[in-house]
Amino acid sequence: MSTAMNFGNKSFRPRPPDKGSFPLDHFGECRAFQETFMRCLRESSFDSSRCRLQSKEYLQCRMDRQLMAKEPLEKLGFKDLMEEPKGEAQETNPR
Amino acid sequence: MLLPRLLRGCCLSSSPAGEFVFRRSPRCLRAQVREAKTHKRSHRQSQQDEWREKNKTVLTYIAAAGVGMIGMSYAAVPLYRLYCQASGLGGTAVAGHDADQVETMKPVRDRVIKVTFNADVHASIQWNFRPQQSEIYVVPGETALAFYKARNPTDKPVIGISTYNVVPFEAGQYFNKIQCFCFEEQRLNPQEEVDMPVFFYIDPEFDEDPRMARVDTITLSYTFFEAKEGQKLPLPGYT
Repeated sequence: MSTAMNFGNKSFRPRPPDKGSFPLDHFGECRAFQETFMRCLRESSFDSSRCRLQSKEYLQCRMDRQLMAKEPLEKLGFKDLMEEPKGEAQETNPR
Repeated sequence: MLLPRLLRGCCLSSSPAGEFVFRRSPRCLRAQVREAKTHKRSHRQSQQDEWREKNKTVLTYIAAAGVGMIGMSYAAVPLYRLYCQASGLGGTAVAGHDADQVETMKPVRDRVIKVTFNADVHASIQWNFRPQQSEIYVVPGETALAFYKARNPTDKPVIGISTYNVVPFEAGQYFNKIQCFCFEEQRLNPQEEVDMPVFFYIDPEFDEDPRMARVDTITLSYTFFEAKEGQKLPLPGYT
């Protein structure tokens, strides 16, 4: 969204998200998970790495309630949080 | 006695003494001048012809160059687009952006980046839209979740549509959103409040880009606009 069209003035091009848009949680079905996540974030001084378990739980809640397309959690970058036997069972094609 | 060649074809007068007198008679002189003149004229003529030829060649080259430049200015648009996609200049999506990368990428633990969040609404939409955290510390190669909250304080359902911006611009090409709430119409019922998540990650190649060596804060800014019923907004980018 640049207003100046001069070369060398790098402009930003928004890109659509990879998996599309989240449907709105009108009924607050995953509100509890969201509160847990926010609490965790505040306690860990907003360090995202320490609250990945809670974010995984939130996304799992969304998937269970049809608020997100179901997808194996490894594809969402949570491979390290999956338990070992479960991870092996759900392993898709390894690189 | 040697006759000068110049006087060949010209009259020669000899003195009564029998000696060869080289004297230019008027007739000879005229003939000589005429010959010189025609020689000069033809020389000039050929010179002019030569110049004309040269001019024609030069003009042809200039015309060809002009046409070539016009053609290049038309061709520059798709060519620049291809170049931008190949080099990722200006924050365009780099071709070959891999969706499988999320599964296999390794977090770069020693590079912590602060992502700050900003929320804006357009003047015509009356939502209360704000981020639920002002900042979050992430590392490249690790997915992160963040929340915005939106509330519709009016008594009518309002449909909003949002877009986003990433500052600094060059970091925008490394900022990948897996899922968010932008570019699609979101409808809020009267007095309704919802949580809007953004699920994103920063490409691990961010750490290897020399231009990003001094970047440690990225700002993600969302802006909501009101969408009219039945309005079809084009998706940004070159699709």
